[in-house]
Amino acid sequence: MTVVELRDVTREHGRVHALKGVSLEVAAGELVAVMGPSGSGKSTLLNLAGGLDRPTSGSVTIEGVDLAGVKDLAALRRTRVGYVFQDLNLIPSLTAAENVMLPRELDGSRSRQARAQALAVLAEVGAEEVADRFPEELSGGQRQRVAIARALVGERRLLLADEPTGALDTATGDEILQLLRARCDDGAAVLLVTHEPRYAAWADRVVYLRDGLIAEASAVRLESAR
Amino acid sequence: MSIRHGLLTLLSSGPRYGYQLRVEFEATTGATWPLNIGQVYTTLARLERDGLVAPGGADEQGRAIYTITEAGREEVGRWFSTPVAQTDRPRDELAIKIAMAVASGVDVADVIQTQRVATMRALQELTRAKRAAGDGLAQRLVLDSLIFKAEAEQRWLDHCEAVSKEKSR
Repeated sequence: MTVVELRDVTREHGRVHALKGVSLEVAAGELVAVMGPSGSGKSTLLNLAGGLDRPTSGSVTIEGVDLAGVKDLAALRRTRVGYVFQDLNLIPSLTAAENVMLPRELDGSRSRQARAQALAVLAEVGAEEVADRFPEELSGGQRQRVAIARALVGERRLLLADEPTGALDTATGDEILQLLRARCDDGAAVLLVTHEPRYAAWADRVVYLRDGLIAEASAVRLESAR
Repeated sequence: MSIRHGLLTLLSSGPRYGYQLRVEFEATTGATWPLNIGQVYTTLARLERDGLVAPGGADEQGRAIYTITEAGREEVGRWFSTPVAQTDRPRDELAIKIAMAVASGVDVADVIQTQRVATMRALQELTRAKRAAGDGLAQRLVLDSLIFKAEAEQRWLDHCEAVSKEKSR
């Protein structure tokens, strides 16, 4: 089942053509990595796929909903899309559990229910023991686990990760990919932007962007690992 | 000389017969470098000639057992305390190919992209093998070694692309 689909998407920033016509689908259970030199349009692609930005032309569909017809993108993002970034991940004045609860509370969940959901998803990512600690008390790997938990809390099945291993050593980076992979195997769709081949190699498919176009994609497709 | 020293190291934890050495060598290195039994016996014969192992009779099923000698133990110690030399690498076909592409006016970007896709596929297969290896530490570290090497090639290809693009402006 396709979770996110981009069809002939272009994005112009003023006179700059950041994306020049990209089509891409990510299915449930699939991990797709996007690679490419800086300025190739990787982050633009991720922002469009997650409804953080609208395309100049072409369509973006998340779980069957064409974003062109959605007025309140923020509401759709809170319920369907999770984001993990390299930094600026967690709010320092909130504990790990409170950070994870935040999207649920913004969406109107009762505090007790939001906390129960947060603890459950923290346990899923192996971070239950740090639930009541503040971000500054956590290691880089633990922080990123909490950020992934926050991206997944609720029923969100689309996870967008922009260089989630950026500041981590390679062993911890591997753990984060292991975790993203496990989420995929449980049915999430993950779109991962990375410049590191070792992490892209965890994907089912690797897409190379060059100058706003997909240079090579399906050629790297392998049969599913599952 | 990694097979020679690998077998010697396995023998340093107790006497073994040929087939057993093959199985243990492959299990330890993640079956990344399959050994044929002929290589094992040839290597054992040389180790015996050099006085590093000695025949230790046969087990109850008649299999020839080998035992490490004192000189063999010293050789294992020497192996672990000596770094591996970087010098005797074979000529690098990929580097030669890229250089030739540049020199002959072939489209370097195409050569790079073709290689990048192939190397990424190899990286994906190694990563899959690593996931399948689970908790086996020795196997995992061998696979990591191959992953780091493939990644270095991938980075070098990115570098080639960026530099040749820069030069063609």
